[in-house]
Amino acid sequence: MTRGGELAEQAACEPMPNLESAVEALLAQSLAAWRVSGAVEREADGALVVTFAGRELRIRRAPADLPFRGLVAEAGRERGAASVSGLLRHVRAAVDPGYRPVRLRIAPLPLLPP
Amino acid sequence: MIPVATSCRRRPAPLHIPVVVLTGFLGSGKTTLLSRMLRHPGFSRTAVIINEFGEVGLDHDLVETSEESLIELQTGCLCCSIRGDLARTLGRLLAARDQGQVKPFERVIIETSGLADPAPILHVIMSDAGLARRLALAGVVTTVDAVNGLATLDRYRESVKQVAVADRLVLTKGDLASEDAAPLAARLATLNPSAPLLRAAFGAIDPELLFDLTADIVSGRTPDARAGPHVDAQPTDAGPHAHGPSHDAGGGHDGDISCFAILREAPLPAVVLTLLLEALAEHCGADLLRLKGLVDVAESPDRPAVIHGVQHVFHPPAWADRWPSADRRTRLVFIMRGVPQAWVEALLAAIEAEVAEVTNRRAQ
Repeated sequence: MTRGGELAEQAACEPMPNLESAVEALLAQSLAAWRVSGAVEREADGALVVTFAGRELRIRRAPADLPFRGLVAEAGRERGAASVSGLLRHVRAAVDPGYRPVRLRIAPLPLLPP
Repeated sequence: MIPVATSCRRRPAPLHIPVVVLTGFLGSGKTTLLSRMLRHPGFSRTAVIINEFGEVGLDHDLVETSEESLIELQTGCLCCSIRGDLARTLGRLLAARDQGQVKPFERVIIETSGLADPAPILHVIMSDAGLARRLALAGVVTTVDAVNGLATLDRYRESVKQVAVADRLVLTKGDLASEDAAPLAARLATLNPSAPLLRAAFGAIDPELLFDLTADIVSGRTPDARAGPHVDAQPTDAGPHAHGPSHDAGGGHDGDISCFAILREAPLPAVVLTLLLEALAEHCGADLLRLKGLVDVAESPDRPAVIHGVQHVFHPPAWADRWPSADRRTRLVFIMRGVPQAWVEALLAAIEAEVAEVTNRRAQ
């Protein structure tokens, strides 16, 4: 069996949280880590709602025709996030105005040793 | 001593010269330790950069060395104002070596001033493009004074950071300490459970123990509870000294600093590791004091990646020749300031789920 086949089989055997629940857990842990008083709840339509300081962020999956993974809406304004990292960046910018991200790009790992 | 397969130690490429940063608070015995090390036959051909906080240096006159080693002196605080000077000094040493003006040294030791925050110094070594082609950070050795160590840790943030980023902790002046060193040892284990605690009397210690700095990662010596307690590379006076879960199963803490390990049974796709490092750098910045890891990269099943990070700077991964044991779990050891382990776990889980979803979608 190829390495890819082994991995696929392993992935099938090991419980992998789906993306929605993993993001929900990440956002809840993020509020705690950033010392923001707030809550994360899932609505009936699957959207995640982050409440903090009397404000509300609504996060949902982006439609398939958009080049985003998720959409973050607040007060009628909706922004796209291309990845979990991008989503986290949007949320932190909203809940933590003093946050200044380190603008660093990590070069992709060489996939194989030299 | 825990056996380590020599071939699996993180060894720089042949052209890379290992650099060890020797740090520790004022009066903690750095120069004494250095002096003893340089008299060891195995440590001839060592270039030493000594940094002193002040305009007049003295330490370099106190260090005896062999004819094959050489010493450069810098004054001022390396971490504050003269990082460029450090890069220039290292560059000059390399040029002199290339031109045959100095003996071809085989390693570099940088002794910091006692007040230095070591992180910016590590950044110079890891991030200067010119130096990175020739030098590789081998690790950080931190001396701690058995007499004043506890009080110093209470009073000076620099000393806490020096301990937190260490790969090896060396307890000095044990012969002068009238009180039991156990409270200090426990404090050090709490601050940095992944660094073995060695003891040096009058600077005497086997230098090999100090320079085998990445063996812990490769051998799986992490603070994770499942890894079980580990034993110091060198027994202390009180017998083998155990770090790890017996001290604080939930991860150590000192003020805001915590040390914890994350394990993964399944291989990590390289893109997961890249995304994780990016997010850590972006959101943690200077609060990521140190990251060390042995990673089972899915695309490289037989050769694990050894990664090092200091704050937002990550060294290019080194690839071990092979797995050192049957334990092929990914082991990531974090020393963080104010960043909970649960957040890092959740971040990694979300990135893994995202990459798995994309991979599965493409496979369909």
